Amino acid sequence: MNHDDVKSNVLTTTLESAINWGRKNSLWPMPFGTACCGIEFMAVLAARTDISRFGAEAIRFSPRQSDLLIVAGRISIKMMPVLIRIYEQMPEPKWVISMGACASSGGVFDTYSVIQGVDQFIPVDVYIPGCPPRPEGVVESLLKIQDLVDKEKLSDYALSDTK
Amino acid sequence: MLLEKAISDVKESFQEAILDVTEFSGERSIHIKCDRILDILSFFKEAGFEFLADLTAVDNLTLGGFERFAVVYHLLSHESVERVTVKAYLPEEKPTLRSVESLWKTADWQEREVYDLYGITFESHPNMTRILNPDTFDGHPLRKDYPRRGRIERSDFPLVKRGIRKEDETP
Repeated sequence: MNHDDVKSNVLTTTLESAINWGRKNSLWPMPFGTACCGIEFMAVLAARTDISRFGAEAIRFSPRQSDLLIVAGRISIKMMPVLIRIYEQMPEPKWVISMGACASSGGVFDTYSVIQGVDQFIPVDVYIPGCPPRPEGVVESLLKIQDLVDKEKLSDYALSDTK
Repeated sequence: MLLEKAISDVKESFQEAILDVTEFSGERSIHIKCDRILDILSFFKEAGFEFLADLTAVDNLTLGGFERFAVVYHLLSHESVERVTVKAYLPEEKPTLRSVESLWKTADWQEREVYDLYGITFESHPNMTRILNPDTFDGHPLRKDYPRRGRIERSDFPLVKRGIRKEDETP
């Protein structure tokens, strides 16, 4: 093997950026669809906008197999404990998209039974405005999540005081 | 056809329980006291109004009426395609009336919904528990004196933080 073969066949990088590159291009979303945003999310998966172009087509309905929670729709007081439990069941690292006006702020449902924004209780990374948002908005938020994944530090997920 | 005869028969048989009979855009309503509700509805069922189309309630706090609450039964006759509305009025203190679940099975969940949202209890109902709100919920939110934005129920949840939770931490 001469020197030119090595140059054209070997790529050096850090482990961190290699892992982040893999993660950001294979996000497995868990849709928490409770209203019309859930229907709009199905359109995002369909042929016209097709999020498999970004490696995010593997929709998992089990939180244990996914790393991106998409809260699509209004969350009632009876549903919020379920959402918190599902968020906690997802393995780290994980990201959350709050899709639409209802998930982000309660939308027009300013009543006793609707949570006025899921970010009051669970951490949200990206908000999508709209009622419901256009599929292009969801794709944009996915790209924003990919940017966030790219900036991850592996050291953030090491337990410093493991027993 | 069926309706006129049924209404005049009910007027005759339950004279002391009937408060008023009204008509609005072709729909007849019978306003009654709540204590004879089971007898009057069985009477209508035998008279041909065999279908309970809806069972709901009204809070008359701002509307005015015979009493604070009214439980509303919408009956339909499939034979003559006529409808009749029966309104049973209940007092503000301990609103209670007989369950009609023995006449129509569909009343089971609808009475639970009325109980959940208005706090009206139904005697001899097989399972008088909440149906929409969580079991721990306090109050009856469709009453007119319940605050629209609730008390604290929509902001009373644990805060989940980012990152891996340590063993001894609670969410």
